[in-house]
Amino acid sequence: MELIRLQGVQYSYPDGPPVLRGLDFSLSSGQRLGIYGPNGAGKSTLFQAAMGLLCPLAGEVWGLGRICRREEDFRELRRTVGYVFQDPEDQLFCPTVLEDVAFGLLNLGQSREEARERSLITLNKLGLAELGDRVTYRLSGGEKRLVSLAAVLAMEPRGLLLDEPANGLDPEHAARLERVLNESGMAWAMVSHDRSLLARTCDTFWEMAGGRLRPLDSV
Amino acid sequence: MMGGTWLSNLDPRAKLAVALAYTLVVALGQRPGPGIMALAASFALYILSRQGMGLLLRRAFSVNLFVAFLWLFLPWRLDWGGGPVWRYHPEGLALAELITYKVNAIFLMTLALLRTSRPTELIHGLAHFHLPAKLLALAMLFYRYVHVIMREYWRLRMALKVRCFKPGNNLHTYRTFAYLVGMLLVRSLDRAERIHQAMLCRGFTGTYWLLDHFRWHRRDTLFVLVSGAGLAALAVLGWRSASWS
Amino acid sequence: MHISEGVLSGPVLAAGGVIALAGAAWGLRKLDARNLPRAALLSSAFFVANLVHVPLGPSNVHLILNGLLGILLGWAAFPALLVALALHALLFQFGGFIVLGANTTNLALPAVLCYLLLSPLVRSANRVTVLVAGFAAGAFSVSLAGIMAALSLYLSGSAFLTSAQALLLAHLPVAVVEGLITALVLGFLRQVKPEMLRGMG
Repeated sequence: MELIRLQGVQYSYPDGPPVLRGLDFSLSSGQRLGIYGPNGAGKSTLFQAAMGLLCPLAGEVWGLGRICRREEDFRELRRTVGYVFQDPEDQLFCPTVLEDVAFGLLNLGQSREEARERSLITLNKLGLAELGDRVTYRLSGGEKRLVSLAAVLAMEPRGLLLDEPANGLDPEHAARLERVLNESGMAWAMVSHDRSLLARTCDTFWEMAGGRLRPLDSV
Repeated sequence: MMGGTWLSNLDPRAKLAVALAYTLVVALGQRPGPGIMALAASFALYILSRQGMGLLLRRAFSVNLFVAFLWLFLPWRLDWGGGPVWRYHPEGLALAELITYKVNAIFLMTLALLRTSRPTELIHGLAHFHLPAKLLALAMLFYRYVHVIMREYWRLRMALKVRCFKPGNNLHTYRTFAYLVGMLLVRSLDRAERIHQAMLCRGFTGTYWLLDHFRWHRRDTLFVLVSGAGLAALAVLGWRSASWS
Repeated sequence: MHISEGVLSGPVLAAGGVIALAGAAWGLRKLDARNLPRAALLSSAFFVANLVHVPLGPSNVHLILNGLLGILLGWAAFPALLVALALHALLFQFGGFIVLGANTTNLALPAVLCYLLLSPLVRSANRVTVLVAGFAAGAFSVSLAGIMAALSLYLSGSAFLTSAQALLLAHLPVAVVEGLITALVLGFLRQVKPEMLRGMG
């Protein structure tokens, strides 16, 4: 099942050079795409366009087989595809870990009890149960990263967009992250400048160059 | 934020002085005639500043919201004669009209004069008016970090969107916005701490230095003199007492 | 509430100016090298937070949060609001420079009053006390700001009576929402960074 498709998408930041130049991209169930590219190549921009967080200058975005033009179209997509930001600081804003994980579930319409249940289950699955009552602001970088992943996984998406997921992680947390991802059985598109990480976790490879994606045989 | 016109080349200190004097004269005016003249002069200057009609219309809309509010309520009074009765008071209407001229004249002049210089230059210019150094340092830091905090705010908003948040009249919404504000404050405090440490590491001992880099030209003197004359005329015409009650 | 430039009378503008100047001078004295960046950054954050509009019934309102600002900055709220409002005037043409004194006073005086009256409660170990103090701060500061703005109008001319009354009424529902949000923000700060509630020291 096709989760996201971008066709001929063009984007430049206001007063900036073009970042996406007629980019095509597609993510379907069962796929694990690794996207390699140096910093500033536009990898985050690609994800933001896919999630309707910015408006392309040209091209189309399709979510779950339907074209997405307005905010309401993207809302449906966001219930099914989770986006893990590059900087977990930008994603964690509730005082405690449990609340942050529950946030998405509350938005999906679950009751407080349901959301709490689900969140605890998710934290348990990721081995983060002890962090439940901790203040997110005071966690270590690695813990924040795992919690931000938990917050997205709790919503039980069918696919993930992962933006530099292992950036700044110490080896122990990086290993945990990889294990969690591999065991989740989910489809994803992962963006990274770390070739070995992509090699270990993904099965199809692309390179971001010149504002477009180019297939790679391997990383 | 600028334009390549002669207005953007004027010394910010000249523009600050003229803008402030103008605002004072117009704000204290009590007669519609000078108000209309001021409006015409501001409009003309705005056209010369070449900042486009789009900006003018957007600002005119937001600035006149309060004016519209006054138009709605100034001409009416609740009189408690035999019972509550709304009475129409024509002098309220006259006041609304006067205020309309004044408010619009002033905002146009602000756009023409002050928006044609960088805010940092205007703050530097104020140093020459002997405002306290601490106040200006406060303003400088404030302005410097507004954009950074604005970006953080937008990223947090994106985080909300991506997890399907939809504002509504409920506690969840108010709590979410409260957390957003709280997070901005917490991070700002951290950033302030780092700024303080950075300042210490570069030998800060308590004095805020501002570099003097303005050069006064003849065109600035000309501008101030001509504007001064215009304002004096406007003041004489406008400052005849008329009570507002 | 920003009152536009060109509405208030001379005496009201002068009074507002004098109070704002005095308050700002006093607030600046309390800012040393450590507290100045804090005041600048916190008021910058408040400036951005003012952009947040929160649903209220069928429409939206912008958050003012002067009570919260007062609790966190104390007397420094005066120069902080002075700078924030000056920038509002410069960048968005909200309010103005001659009416800056009056607008600053209308927001800063309630802010400082919240600080003087409520900061001991805000530092309490009891969670409920903090939340109640937060609600009081938010509701009180916005109501008082509304009263002062209405007064500024009325003192400028009795023709403004109805407008002043309408302005005051408009502030009341906002006061309730602000009380709620201020309470929630204080709750958040208490959990995440309680040192902040001890003020600028």
